Amino acid sequence: MIQSSLRGRFQFGNVRARHVVLAVRGIAVLALASFALSTPGFTSLLSINALLTAISFIGCVAVGMTFITLTGNIMSLALGATVSASALVFLASLSAGILPAFLLALAFGMVITAAQGFLVGYFRANPILVSIAGLSLLIGGAAFATGGQRIYPGGAGLTVFKGRVAGIPTVALFFFATVIVGQLILSWTRIGRVMVMVGSNVRATTAVGVSAARAITVAYMIAGACSAVSGVLLAARYGSGDMEIGTGYDYAAIAAVLVGGTSITGGSGSVLRTLVGVAVIAIIEVVLLLRGFSDQLQYLITGIIVLGVIMLHTVGERR
Amino acid sequence: MTMQRSIKFLLDPSARPFVIMAGALVVLALMDRGTGYFFSVGTVYSVMQLFATLGLVALGLGLSMLVREFDLSVASIVGLAGSIAVITGVAHPWLGVLLGVGAGALSGTLQGLIMTRLGLSSVGVTLGGLLTLQGITYVLTANQTVSYPNMAVALGLNAPIAHLLSVRSVAALTVFVVAALVMTFTHIGRDIIATGSDRRASRIAGLNTDRVIIGVFAASGASAALAGVLLDYSLGAASPVALADVLAPAAAAAIVGGVSVVGGRGGPMGIAAGVLTLCILRSGLSAIGVPPYVHDLVTGAILLVIAILDAPDLARRVIAWRLYSAEQRDSAVAGKSS
Repeated sequence: MIQSSLRGRFQFGNVRARHVVLAVRGIAVLALASFALSTPGFTSLLSINALLTAISFIGCVAVGMTFITLTGNIMSLALGATVSASALVFLASLSAGILPAFLLALAFGMVITAAQGFLVGYFRANPILVSIAGLSLLIGGAAFATGGQRIYPGGAGLTVFKGRVAGIPTVALFFFATVIVGQLILSWTRIGRVMVMVGSNVRATTAVGVSAARAITVAYMIAGACSAVSGVLLAARYGSGDMEIGTGYDYAAIAAVLVGGTSITGGSGSVLRTLVGVAVIAIIEVVLLLRGFSDQLQYLITGIIVLGVIMLHTVGERR
Repeated sequence: MTMQRSIKFLLDPSARPFVIMAGALVVLALMDRGTGYFFSVGTVYSVMQLFATLGLVALGLGLSMLVREFDLSVASIVGLAGSIAVITGVAHPWLGVLLGVGAGALSGTLQGLIMTRLGLSSVGVTLGGLLTLQGITYVLTANQTVSYPNMAVALGLNAPIAHLLSVRSVAALTVFVVAALVMTFTHIGRDIIATGSDRRASRIAGLNTDRVIIGVFAASGASAALAGVLLDYSLGAASPVALADVLAPAAAAAIVGGVSVVGGRGGPMGIAAGVLTLCILRSGLSAIGVPPYVHDLVTGAILLVIAILDAPDLARRVIAWRLYSAEQRDSAVAGKSS
């Protein structure tokens, strides 16, 4: 009882705003659902499979971005380039077998991104600045290594990623696995809890003797791993790769994270919210496509909705 | 002691952009080895052409970083303003400039209003702005390249002035000079620095910080829009392809130019030096025949060094590690002697 009255006292003043926001959110979700379900062809197996495949590539990156945003480091502009670069690593090492290539790409993404996380965590270097430096180095390094050429697979076995298991595209299974592992790390491991704590108050974390720097480094490492998974999936889908295939994925990912309701200032959010964000954006795009809107209008309407949702979330969170 | 003082001067943030630029010039001159490819009129001209586009975007982004915000939307304002100008400015080029720059200023103002009235962070709002404005550009151009038939304008904008400049680069330089004058000699400049240094203190001191922020975003939008209009006029076409690639170089230029990512430090002249450094590296390296990826690697390395030097916890970590290793050494010595 005391707890609830305290809670009420703390929230006094914007309780009504919260209710309004909650109601608007509910109505928005209902409207989206009814709009989607009333669209002819939306519930067909074909379109649902296409939807699942489409969200998987960006979804993996968005899960990774969630960790960076949660620890209070806003976003990384280098994740798109990390996707492309790990796709190149995967394709180039495919002759060694599919599993070694996958693990190598994963390790590459983790090391590259964890190095950025190390600078952000241990030196408190500015995250956006570090990520732009990482972006330049990745683009330059990839051009040096490949000579600007497209990379074609050095071995076979890409069909593993193209099939279906129990009717669900393999790509989507990888995405769901990423979501589940991500959420488990966040809510069931010590370092995951520390990440949320770091995001809500770095100084308090350090004051109680917990290493904020290590949590930030690990968060970046996970983001790198997620981007590498997305890179491998993309490489397998297209059968070849260059530095363009991940372009723009960082912006799409941060949009999904924010639409899902993870706070841009960190400390509040989850991987599951990001899953919702990815799904909402994808559903809007599919519905607009099925209803026959032109590409241009689809892009515009999605942009406006994303802006609106971000505003709605942040208004609700404001103290 | 003088050695230490000169190192301190070289690392001083306000001198940094000019130090890096001088360093780039010296290195390129040494690599050129007197063949004259680097120190040629053509290189200067191409550096200034690059400056005209990148510089204005970096100026806008740098201004928003001065007040401790980050304007992601500049990337799509470039494309939007260019498309508007190309569509409306066929008969009257000035009308296109007016509408294009007006659209940039308007979208900046709107985003500033949303941020200040609702108390939102700039990354979220300008990310939404980025996507929405890009969508408007797609709709306006019907997702196709729109050509600009008024070739006289395109040729006139790029025609060399004294072999070194063009109307386009002179326009960009003028904007920089005006911005520098405003920042140095009017209260607007001091208001911007105050808002970026400590927003709460500025507000308590009676400064309307909301108005400063809205103004900064309007200026940022207008500056990026001018870059887009000039670029598309001189290319003779507007392409809806996302120019998100412009964001990272622009931010890099502003940071090399001494703008602090935590706000309150930097200015137009520094930003100009930062942009020039990146343009000199790009044109200079290609002029002396170095493969293009070296440019990216060098830019990345410079940014990385700045990021580490500017990191607030660098000194603390270095001292802690030194103490730790000294302790290890001492205990190792003690272990041996006992």
